[in-house]
Parts: sequence; C-alpha cells; structure tokens
Amino acid sequence: MAKPSAFQQLEKLGEGTYATVYKGRNRQTGELVALKEIHLDSEEGTPSTAIREISLMKELKHENILSLVDVIHTENKLMLVSEFMDMDLKKYMDTRGGDRGQLDPATIKSFVYQLLRGIAYCHEKRILHRDLKPQNLLISKHGVLKLADFGLARAFGIPVNTFSAEVVTLWYRAPDVLLGSRTYNTSIDIWSIGCIMAEMFTGRPLFPGTTNEDELKRIFRLLGTPSERTWPGISHLPEYKPQTTVYPAQDLAQVLPQIDPLGIDLLKGMLQLRPEKRISAADALRHAWFYDLPQVRAQAQLLQQQQLHQQAQMARTYGGTVQGNQTGY
Amino acid sequence: MAHMTNPLATPDQLCALRHSPNSLPSELADLVFFQTQCLTQAAGLLLQLPQSVTAQANVILARYWLVEGLMSYEFSDVSAATIFLVSKVSSSPRRPRDVCNVYAYLLSPSSTFLRPPSSPPPVNNPKDYYLSESAFHRFHSRILNLESRILYALGFDTHVSLPHPLAITYLQALDFLGTPKQRISQSVLRYLNTALLSPQMLYLTSQPNALAVAAIYSAAKDTGAKMPESEWWEVFDVDREELGFLVVGMRSVQGYMDKLREEIPVDGRGKRGLLWRKDVQQEMARRGLEISIPNNNNNSTKSGDAEDEMMRLMDEKVARMEEYD
Repeated sequence: MAKPSAFQQLEKLGEGTYATVYKGRNRQTGELVALKEIHLDSEEGTPSTAIREISLMKELKHENILSLVDVIHTENKLMLVSEFMDMDLKKYMDTRGGDRGQLDPATIKSFVYQLLRGIAYCHEKRILHRDLKPQNLLISKHGVLKLADFGLARAFGIPVNTFSAEVVTLWYRAPDVLLGSRTYNTSIDIWSIGCIMAEMFTGRPLFPGTTNEDELKRIFRLLGTPSERTWPGISHLPEYKPQTTVYPAQDLAQVLPQIDPLGIDLLKGMLQLRPEKRISAADALRHAWFYDLPQVRAQAQLLQQQQLHQQAQMARTYGGTVQGNQTGY
Repeated sequence: MAHMTNPLATPDQLCALRHSPNSLPSELADLVFFQTQCLTQAAGLLLQLPQSVTAQANVILARYWLVEGLMSYEFSDVSAATIFLVSKVSSSPRRPRDVCNVYAYLLSPSSTFLRPPSSPPPVNNPKDYYLSESAFHRFHSRILNLESRILYALGFDTHVSLPHPLAITYLQALDFLGTPKQRISQSVLRYLNTALLSPQMLYLTSQPNALAVAAIYSAAKDTGAKMPESEWWEVFDVDREELGFLVVGMRSVQGYMDKLREEIPVDGRGKRGLLWRKDVQQEMARRGLEISIPNNNNNSTKSGDAEDEMMRLMDEKVARMEEYD
C-alpha cells in the first residue's frame, strides 16, 4: 500500500453511488491513474461494496478488465488506484457517436467482442458482474474497452445462493431478475450485453423502463409476452403477475434494421427471455458475427496455418507408405 | 476453483504465532483463542446470525490473529469487529449498535457466558450492560478502526469457503448402510463447528474438503455407521495422513478444552477465563513472565512511533500499579 501523497489529485471525473472518481498522477512515474475515493461511513465503516470490489478486482487480471494498481487506506477514506481510461461508453457515444449517439458497426463489433471477452473471463472465475451498463464500460483512446465498477459483483459457488433481487440498473436488468428470481446466474450479464449492443446501434437504450413493471412491459412488447407454455415455471416467480395485454413477439431484424442478419442472430441469443436459453459468453465469442474482426481473423488464420502445417507433416509421414503401396508392394 | 478453497497458513506463520518473542505461553494462547471463538459464537446466536456467517467470522478472526498476533487488540473487540465485518459482506448485515449491545451484555456479569454450569445462575442486572451514548461511541469507533485494520491485514480478502455444504454433498454420495443420514449429518456438523474453536486452527491448515471428510469419518465412527471398505476419502482428494491428523485433531478439541478450563481460576462473580488482555498480563505476571500490551487507540495512526512507545510504557506502568493495588 502506498501513501496518499504518492499520487497527485487532478480534476474530478465523476461521482458514483458510493464514491467519487478523480484523475490522478503518480508523482514518481508521472503515469496517469484514476483515483476512486470512497468515504468511510461514520456509522457503517468500510462499505461492503468497496470490500467486494477490492477483493474481486485483485483476483481479476485481464486486458478487458480495469486493473487495480493500489489501495490506499487512511483514517476516514479509502482510495482505489486504477489505470486511467479516457472515458466511459456513455460519454463515448455522446461525443463520438452519430447524430443520435449511435456508433459505426465496426466499432460496435469490436466493443461487443471485448465486452464478451472480459465477462467470459469473469464467468470462468465464477464472478458475476451484475451491473453492466454503458457507464461502467471504459474506453481508452486506442479503442480498448475495459469492464469497471465491480461494486455489485460477487463470486458465486455451487449451489448458487439466493441473491438479492436489488441489483443491476433497471434498463439492463434481465427479465428473470425483474420477475424476482433469486437464483440467477451468469446469464444476467449476457442480457445486459444484449441491451448495450442494441443501444450502440441505435444510440437509444433498448428498454428505458421507469419502474419494474414498465421495464417488463417494454421487454414483453418487443420479445413477446411469455406464458407457462413458452417459459415453464414463470408463474411461480415471486414478482410474476398475469399480464393484461399479451404481446406477440416482434421481428428483431425489422425493429433494428441497422443490424446485419448475423448480428441479429447473436442479439437474439443474448436477449432470450428464459435465462437457460441465453447464449453463454464463451459461445457468443465463437459466433460467426465476429469472424471478420481483425483479431479473430488473425487467430483463425493462425489456426488454419497450424492445421495445414499438421496436414502437410502427416502427409509427409505417411507419404512413404502411400507411395510404397502404389508401387505394388 | 478459488471459491471452493481457502488461503492456508504457512508453516512460518504458525511457528511465529507460537514462538515469536511477544507470543504467549501456548496454553494461555490456546485459552484466549478458544474463549474468544466461543464469544464470537455466543454473539452470533444473540445477533441471530446464520451459523454460516458466524463460522466465517471465526475463520476470519483466526486469520487475523495469525497475521497480527493475539495481543495487538483487545480480544472481545477483535471478535466484535470480525462478526460486524463478516455480517456486513453477507446477506444478513447487523447494525453497529446491535453488535455493541450484544457484546456489552456478553461481557457483563449478568450473562451466563463462560459460567461453569455448576455455579448459580447470574442475577440479571440491566445496569451491568447498559451502554451509554459515549460508551457506545467509543466501542463503535474501536470496532470501525479494527475493521480497517483487519481488512488491511487480510488484503481485503474476506472470502471463506466453509466445509459444511461440502460435507452434506459428500454424505449424499456415501451410503452408510442402515444408519439414518440425519443422525450422521448432525454429528458431522457438530464436529465441524467444534473444530472452529480449536486452537490448532484446523480451518487455517486444511482445505474444506479435508475438514468435511474428517468430520464424516469421525461421525461415522461415533454412530457406528459402516463406512465403505475402500479408501473412500481418496475420492474426495484427501490422503490417509491428512485424514488421520484431522480426525485426531477434531476428536481432541473437547477433552483439551475441558482440561484447559479447569486450570483457569473463576473470578469473584462466577466468571472464568481471560477475557481481557490485562487478565493475560496478570496471569503472566503471576508466573513471573512479562508481556506488553500494544497501545492501539484510535489516534495511533496519526501519532508518531515515539509517542506510541511512550503511551505503551505508560500503560504498562499503570497496569503494574493496578497489580499492586
């Protein structure tokens, strides 16, 4: 742990629910950092969100996850020092996006891919983020995306405990969570990614609900009102109420004409009402929509070359025998 | 699989706890450990916390002591701070006021805590455990200060993986012919909970799967259940040597504690034990030994080392004067 004086505090970057974030500079190296200042509550001490965030971020080391450089603990505040990122996705869309904040398809594909890589890593480590939204995704000036704000994240074991239903910002909240399910899992993060992907294409949040019920209504209006037949067990969920209006499912491709057919296919996989039908992060990364990404193409080419090389080697090894047979032995 | 395992104590850490210049004679250290863990359990009951939370508090407390030593803070404060901290990150947080009230009661002469069963029940005198606003404020700030200290010492890692759910899963997989599963599982949980109190710190030396297997082995032996003939523990990644060590450890806790308790005098009001650091100091003095109590008041982070040292010396002097009273 470093001394507070090791970092020079520069301008304020933003204010979160339990912390204020400043830009800072490492006095020794001159490196820019982000300083997340958490005030210790005089009643409750160190906030549980901060304890969770620090313990999880220490575990998570990945290029698409914001890395924690240091923790500074003083008498009445706690400061998390992390690498500096230029802006969050929301601000990026506001400043770099088109007239309504929409981004260009190539950028979106790269961001969705990086987002999925980061979350696939978390899920592999059995950690749920639980609060994915544009404000929690940071973008560097080189177009690198990193997941941040693990204040609501938590590790899950087997069997999955009953979790608090009060997580995830309403607009990106999965229908099973909205219906009061307390046994949710990694699929809640995938739902959020689906919402964020659509938002990058249109510049508008996909389901900007004002209340729990309004949020559900907006989801059902697009994806169709589920029933016990399409979602067995739904009527047993704590917050389930029979819907007065039964909406038919709409064609996503027509509602979101900006997205190409492959992209729509992936989005459909992420926006499945039933959590168990939602695509996993690992599978989503292998989706054909990403095949034309430079990094995926490079990887595929490498793989192909390796296979060709192997085939060539095998041909050489067995070559003698084949030729031998041909000569009639 | 990090969520299924725990950080374990290194041999160096275990050795330092027992043999550093400032460590207590082992039976005193054992007694302090045992009593403070019991205090945590009692507080968990009164705070109506699930046993899974209280058990995690026991483990966190043991980890903290391993890093910072027994005498760095008042025992009951460390107990209160760990239970407050662990409940906070669990799904059943408790308010500081409730935690303070419970500890004030448990440490008062009115509570039955640490009273020999033979002694007459204590007279309930609410004045004993009434916490004034200022007393509460002092207790509260000590606990928050210690909470930071514990988080710092443990590098903010408050994750504890308990063997209890694993043991139940293993029991489902094993078939103890004819013996009701409920009887065995109750005995298994008893062993696991008792092991939390053991000064051998079994939860810091073995992974949950080994603790679970050892508890099942002991419970099966007690209830006369027929265990599989094969070396079934290997299925759960436990070797015979570790199993043997843990079984002996778990089965000896009760006897060892009974013996320890008898050596400790009962005070005038029927309470027995070394609940305060000054009791430990007195007991040491009685044996012709000396130990210093570090001064850790709230301002210690601000003041310089020299000032700390000065305060420590003064404390010692006061403590010695009290002894001669």
